[in-house]
Amino acid sequence: MSELRVIGRDGSERRLEAFEGGAVMDTLRDAATGILGTCGGACSCGTCHVYVAPEWLDRLPAKGEDETMMLEAIGELVPLRAGSRLACQLPMTAALSGLVLEIAPEL
Amino acid sequence: MGDINLKMLLESKSLERAPFPIPTGWFFIGFSDSLAAGEMRNVHVLGQEWVLFRTESGKPGMSDPYCPHLGAHMGHGGKVCGEHLRCPFHHWEYDTAGWCKSIPYAKLTPPIIKKQAVLRTLPMVERYGMMWAWFHPACEAPSFELPYIPEMEDATGYAGTRRGSWTANTCIQEIAENGVDTAHLKFLHGAPIIPPVEASYDGPVMTLDIGRGYIVGKSYGPGLNVLRFTQHGVTATMISYTVPLTHDTTQMNMSFRHVDYAEGTPELQASKKIIDHMIGAAEGEESAGFESVDFIVWNNKKFRPNPLLCDGDGPILQFRKWFQQFYTDPGYVKV
Repeated sequence: MSELRVIGRDGSERRLEAFEGGAVMDTLRDAATGILGTCGGACSCGTCHVYVAPEWLDRLPAKGEDETMMLEAIGELVPLRAGSRLACQLPMTAALSGLVLEIAPEL
Repeated sequence: MGDINLKMLLESKSLERAPFPIPTGWFFIGFSDSLAAGEMRNVHVLGQEWVLFRTESGKPGMSDPYCPHLGAHMGHGGKVCGEHLRCPFHHWEYDTAGWCKSIPYAKLTPPIIKKQAVLRTLPMVERYGMMWAWFHPACEAPSFELPYIPEMEDATGYAGTRRGSWTANTCIQEIAENGVDTAHLKFLHGAPIIPPVEASYDGPVMTLDIGRGYIVGKSYGPGLNVLRFTQHGVTATMISYTVPLTHDTTQMNMSFRHVDYAEGTPELQASKKIIDHMIGAAEGEESAGFESVDFIVWNNKKFRPNPLLCDGDGPILQFRKWFQQFYTDPGYVKV
């Protein structure tokens, strides 16, 4: 069983059981963390912005063009950090079990 | 190729009337003056429904009806807003090239809409007082241009307002094949002889000379033919712009033009007679134009991929080979 360690917008920390096979976004959306995932993973809505903890960054897949473009646009609305990612672009695998991330502010 | 397949000749139930998809090419959509700036309407051509619209600046557009957002039919309740077609459902707006130009409530723009068109639209041009759309099943860009037609585009020198529209219950290839089927001109149309035909092919253009100069013309892809009929030194022109409605229903549209001879001259009279003769029966002529004889065959025949041909038949198989280029999938061609 994989898990995510999630710091909420109110600063509280939760451990979530993660569904492998989907994206990190799916687990966050279904656990009512404030992540909306409106577009379902098409990289067109920007509502699954998270800050991944620095020690995890080199274990993530590289950003694609659409994610990069979307994060740039998000940066005009909320602060970006080095760990800014769209959770829909992070496949949930056993290797990412224990991933620490923080839910970014609402758009 | 090879021996005649007797089984195929004896069995016709498996034959189809129009075993082809909609071909690639430029097709007539409507007359330019039938669509005002800001106007929008639904049209059924090329095998599906489309929303035809004209922007406020006058640019024609033709799009798939269904909004890429949540699938509303933009031709029912949508409207032209400036240079865009606006969906009624959430007011997303698209330009004539299918790019999404506005989402009125999104804080973020979906990256894909900055990179490409997301709504299928057909490239359009306006020529000869008409709107033309380029159809390619895989949405590829136009591979040839529409030609200059002096009879339609010279401001002076030509006249003739006669035009017509007919619907045939078959596909364009079957209709166009009659152009090289010279034997039918004698037996179906009643021409005094089987006229000689010379057909030559250059890319999407076919050049025909029927009866050594009597009918000379060109086809520009499947959707446009310009044929000039000359009798006793007087030439009249048939501009034929045919559009598939479905894969087996075709609208044939034609304009007839002639030199702008003065009223009352024998040349004007001769021009008008040639035009009568192109379409149907003409006084003093033995043979009949297409309207009176071709439809009964087109509307009821089947396509024989392996026809039994004889000497005296025209260059039918060569024509079919030329026409293949307008089908993207060569598997459709059954020559």
